[in-house]
Parts: sequence; C-alpha cells; structure tokens
Amino acid sequence: MFWRFVLAAVKYRRRRLLLAFAGLAVAATLATTLFSVYWGIERKMRHEFRGYGANVIITPASNSPSVPLGAVDEAERLGAVAAPFIYTIARIGDERVVEAGVDFRRAGPLTSYWQVDGARTAAPGECLAGNAAAAHFRVTIGQSLPLASGACIVRGIVSTGGAEDNRVMVPFERAAADAGFQNAASVVEIRADGSRVDAVRATLARALPGADVRVLHALAETEASVVLKVRSAVFVLALVIFGITTLCVTGNFSALVLERSREIGILKAIGAAETKIAALFLSESLVLALASTITGYALGLGVAYAIGRKIFSDTAQLPAVGVNFAVFAPVMGVTLLVAALATLLAASRIWRIEPAMILRGD
Amino acid sequence: MFLRFVAQSVRRAPRRKAMAIGAVALGSAVATAMLGAMLDVGDRVNTELRSLGANLLVIPKSASLPVDIGGIRYQPAAKDEFIPEAAVPKIKSIFWTLNITALSPSLHAQTRIDGRDVPVEGVWFRRELRAPDGTRSAAGLRALNRTWKIDGRWIDDHQPDDHSAECILGESLARSLALQPGSALNLFGERFRVVGVLSTGGQEDDRAFVRLEVLERLTGRNGQVDAIEVGALTKPEDAFARKDFSKMSREEYDRWYCTPYISAIAHQIDEVLPMAVAHPIRRVADNEGQVLNKVRGLMLLIALAALATAALTVWSVMATTVLERRYEIAIMQATGASTALIATLFGAEVALQGSLGGLIGAIAGAQLSSAVSQTVFGIHGSPPDLLVPLVVFVATAVALAGAAQPLRKALALEPAFILRERA
Repeated sequence: MFWRFVLAAVKYRRRRLLLAFAGLAVAATLATTLFSVYWGIERKMRHEFRGYGANVIITPASNSPSVPLGAVDEAERLGAVAAPFIYTIARIGDERVVEAGVDFRRAGPLTSYWQVDGARTAAPGECLAGNAAAAHFRVTIGQSLPLASGACIVRGIVSTGGAEDNRVMVPFERAAADAGFQNAASVVEIRADGSRVDAVRATLARALPGADVRVLHALAETEASVVLKVRSAVFVLALVIFGITTLCVTGNFSALVLERSREIGILKAIGAAETKIAALFLSESLVLALASTITGYALGLGVAYAIGRKIFSDTAQLPAVGVNFAVFAPVMGVTLLVAALATLLAASRIWRIEPAMILRGD
Repeated sequence: MFLRFVAQSVRRAPRRKAMAIGAVALGSAVATAMLGAMLDVGDRVNTELRSLGANLLVIPKSASLPVDIGGIRYQPAAKDEFIPEAAVPKIKSIFWTLNITALSPSLHAQTRIDGRDVPVEGVWFRRELRAPDGTRSAAGLRALNRTWKIDGRWIDDHQPDDHSAECILGESLARSLALQPGSALNLFGERFRVVGVLSTGGQEDDRAFVRLEVLERLTGRNGQVDAIEVGALTKPEDAFARKDFSKMSREEYDRWYCTPYISAIAHQIDEVLPMAVAHPIRRVADNEGQVLNKVRGLMLLIALAALATAALTVWSVMATTVLERRYEIAIMQATGASTALIATLFGAEVALQGSLGGLIGAIAGAQLSSAVSQTVFGIHGSPPDLLVPLVVFVATAVALAGAAQPLRKALALEPAFILRERA
C-alpha cells in the first residue's frame, strides 16, 4: 500500500518529477566531474612539467673532473629518469667546437623541448648539430661533419635557444672515448617526480659523496606552486558549484512537498498520521535522489573522462585519466542527504496544515 | 492595465517569485564565478611561470661560434661583438613592451682563482629602467628571477659606481673556495669582498657576480654587454605562430605581429636592436605554453560544464513556474485574453525575473570569483566589467527560452480542459 502510493505519485506527476530528477542529476554529474578531476589533478599537472627537463643535476665536486656513471643507475633505482652527458672540446679544421656526448635513449624524456629538424637520435658515426653550429660549418642533414676525431653524418639540426645551438651532439660512447672518460660523465641530469625532488636529492647526495647534487630550485618551486594553485582553484570552484547546485536542489525538493498541500489535506482528512505522510514524501524523494545520483554519477564519470582525454591526452602512461570511482560514495551520500533534508524541512508543514482550510479552497 | 497585471502577479505570490529569482541568481552566480575564475587562473599561472626566469635571450650578432662549457670560454670572444649598454632600454619600446616583465643585461668574462678558470658575470642586480617613453620598471637579475634566494645580502646597485668592491658567489664556487659572506678574494687582481652566496641549482652556482660597470672596467669593455635575458608574458604558440613570418601575407603578418607570440616579440626586439639577435629559450618558452594551455583548457571545460548546469537550472525553474500557472492561463483565456497578450504578459514577467535574478547572481558571482582568486592566489583580482551585463543578458535569454515551451503548450490547450482538471 505504502509503495503503491509512492509509485502512483511518480506516475501521475511524471513531468514535475522529471524536472526535479534532472536538477539533481545535473548536480550529481557536476559533483562527480569536479571531484574526479580534482582527485587526479596534482599528478597530471606535475606530469605536465616533465617537459622542462631535469630538476636535479649532478656535477663533479671541485676536486674531480667527472661524475661516476653509477649515479645514473642510482637515480633510476629511485624511479627517476636520468641521463649522463659529456662535454668536451673537439676540432674541425683549425676551429674548435663543443662536442656533447648524449645517451640518446636515456636523454629522450629530458630533451623533449629540443626542436629538431630531422632525427632526434644519432647512431655511431652519426651526430646532431646545433643550428648555429650547422650554419657556422655550413652543413645540412645528410652531410658529413669533419670532426678531427672522425667525421660524422649529420642526422638532425637542433634548436633550443640555449647552449645546444652551438654544439655538436654525438653518441655518448664516442664522446667518452674522445674525452678519455671511463665510466664517467661531465654531468648527470635527472628528472625526479616533482613531489619527491628533495628526497631524491638527499638519497643521491648520500650515495655519491664525491659529487655535487643540486636541485634546480626555481623549477621545483614553480612547479610546486603552480600545481598547488591549480589544485586549490579546482577545489574551491568545485565547492562553490556544489554548494550552489545543492541550494537549487534544496529549493526543488521543498517545492515538491509545498505544492501538494491539497493532497496532504486530503490524506490528513481521511486519517493518515503525519509521520506516515512525511515518510511517504521522504521515500519518494529518496527514490528520486537515488535514481538521479546514479544517472549523474555515470554522466559525471563520462564528462571527467572526456575532460581528461581532451586536456591530458598525451599522458599515455596515465590510464583512465580523470576517472575516479571512489567519488561515488561521497557524491551519493551528499545528494541523498540534501534531498532528505530538503524534504524533511518542507515536510514540517505537514503538521501545520489544517485539512478543512486547504480543502475549502485555495 | 498591462503593468497592473504584472505588478499584481508579483504582489500576489511574492514567495514563488522570490524562489524563481533566487534560482536564476544562483545559476548566474555560478556562471559569473566560473568565467571570472577561468580568465583569472590562466593569467595568474602565466605570471607564476615567469618565475622560471628568462624565456628570451638576446645576444650580439656574431660571426664566430661560441665555444663554452659551463660558462668557461675555450675561445676568446671577439671584442667587436657586443650590445651597447645604452641600447638596452630600447627593448622596452617594442609593440609588446607591457608584456616584458623583466630584463637583465649581463657581460661575461672569466678569471683564474687558485689555478682554475672561474666565470664572472657582470650584471644589473636591481635597477630602475627608464624606457624611451619615460615609463619606469624594475630590471636586472633579481627582477627577472624573483624566487632566487641568497645567503648574506644582494649588492645594491641603484646608483652607478664602478669602484664597488663587492661580489656574490655561486654556492658551489663558494664551497670549493671555502668562502663565506664576509670573506675576501681576488678577481682580476683586485680585492673583492663576498657579500652573498647564491644557490639556484643551475649554472649560477659555479659563477661569481659583480656589478656590470665593475666588470666593464676590469675587462676594458666600457658600455658593452654580451647578453640580455628577457622575461615576457606570451601567448602559447599555435600552428599559426610557427609559420615563417617572411612568407606571410600582409594580413597574416599584421595579425602575427600584434599577437604576443614569443617569436613575434623576438622579431620586434631584433627590429629595435639591429646589432643583436633574440632567441626564444625553448626549454622555458615552449613548456610555459604547454602548461598554460593545459590549465586554461581545464578551466574552460570546467566552466563549460558549470555554465551548462547553470543554464539547465534556470531553464527548469522557469519551466516549473509556467507549469504551475496553467490554471491562471486558462482563466485568462476563458475570460477572453488573446494569446499574444498572455504571451507578452508572461514573457515580461519571466524577463523581469530573469534579469533581476541575473543581476543579483552576476554581482554575487563577481564577488565570489574575486574571493576565489584571493584564496588561491592571494591577489585581489576582479572579473572583467563586461561579464556582469553579459551574464544578465544570457540569464534573461535562458529564462525566456525555458518558459517558452510550457507556455506555448498551455496556450494550445483548451481552457476548459485545464479548468476541469483543477476542479
């Protein structure tokens, strides 16, 4: 009997309920979207800073000419991306040029900001030339650069606006041979996860007492502050939007009860207890809230996924961008609570309604 | 008569009207806050990213190839390749001068300390730069790199003085020479006092810094600098910005020139400093655009989601309002009011509610968005002035659109049918 009442109410006031349903579903969608996005935002924003390259650099201590290559393994063990570089002076005819030895396989993620015309890596016997160096020695892609230690075929022209523009990049092993380095590098560049920079630095400094391990402070601090600010902006906006939609939903659900004074009057006139009527309205609201939360949750996950895909599409190694299933419980809890509170607040009128007054006329 | 109807309607059911207005206001508040915050967050992050230092490097046009590793030159620099120090302020006369947040000229040299070569940089620490048009702005190393911290103190170079005997050392250099703030050392055969030790983690850690005039005197290069680092607020590069400007049509060139792309700013610097060439520092410039695009895109999508929601809310409230008043419409029709009159009457009422709600919401939303930027960025920001009228207009339009469909449906029905249902 009780549930027949609830169902009949849904059936006869389909249009009105549809509006309330839509309102709450939209609120749930928005809440799911915003909180899902918020959840993963820190990781994703930090990921965006990887393009800046290294944030930790190991240089030789003042009494040694080089850094042991063990530093690279050490950093990789800590889960960071690390690459060794060798800088030495090479000769072309009677001119000098800086030859940079690059471990192209490892250095890839650290040099993503290099603008390269041609290939990004060089095999033995090949090299990349900085754009100023290439112009100075008048070589283009495919031509041979006559380094005194052995000519190399230019595979790519690099422009960065930095020191690389004036240099010739060769495979690491070749530069090691030219510089006379054994198991050593001039510099080891490391990209550590932004939130663990200091821990990585401390561990490396302990493991390599003979080297100078530095954090690029400006990068680390800017990254931290931008990530923090974007995160709190999303959070504050999520709260604001959630608060406002909650208010709208509250109004909507109160109206559902207020509009039905006549019905309440009739129910009271034929002897229904107030608590029973309140329970009727409450269960109606909760059924509605449950349905719309589930709909809104599904929609919200979709929107969050779309936002994640649209904005962080190149983050292939971060699956299910923007989707977080854990937000279901809080979203569900809050929407049900809001619906119940709004209904109960309005339901307090049930006790004050005089059946005779209502039934006599509007 | 018409106005009396509207006035009556408001007076008779003030609570219902207040609820409708409230709903429109809430929707508009969300919309305004989101739009305001979206515009704001992008700009703030852009400013924030500028603390990563220069994104443009201006160097003299050169015939020789610099051969240096970590600031040590392995080939003496040609003496005739320089930028006159007097030409530095010209950079602040380009079209996008307001987007240039800081610039720092420097002169590079090296000296021998304890048998090894040490790079020495002559710089402006913090100076007031007077642009050719008379405006003043802060320039120098500290203006460009605001996050740099120093142990000891900075050199104060507000007044020109080429006999200052103070220097600042990079942290690694200071450590290897066992010097602290207060120690003394010889640079170019002159005695200097270390006043501060700088730690950035970058190449600065291995260098010594002195005032520009001092290094000019010590190296005999009076009035010369060999690099200017420039920090500029830019628009992230898109496919259009990467086109070769020399191959653009007249209109394309104008559009490119008048957009703060890094390449356009570099080109404008080349124009005012014919002896120099400006290079975008890709590591900073490209990533800045990358991060900024992500943040803007994120905010835009969140804003769109919120706007759609706000519109839906307003729409549904207005639809409900009309739905509830079908009885009234039927009575009006039964007593002989024309469809046009009823539509105008309700339209006026809805428009009134929509614009009033929109106005309240837009004003509240503007407050909200500046509160958000206050909380998040600690800076008092205010959304653009145009936002409030825009939101009011859109709120009214959406309210009318929401009311239109149920109104048409109610008008199409036989009044008798509705009146009977009610009885």
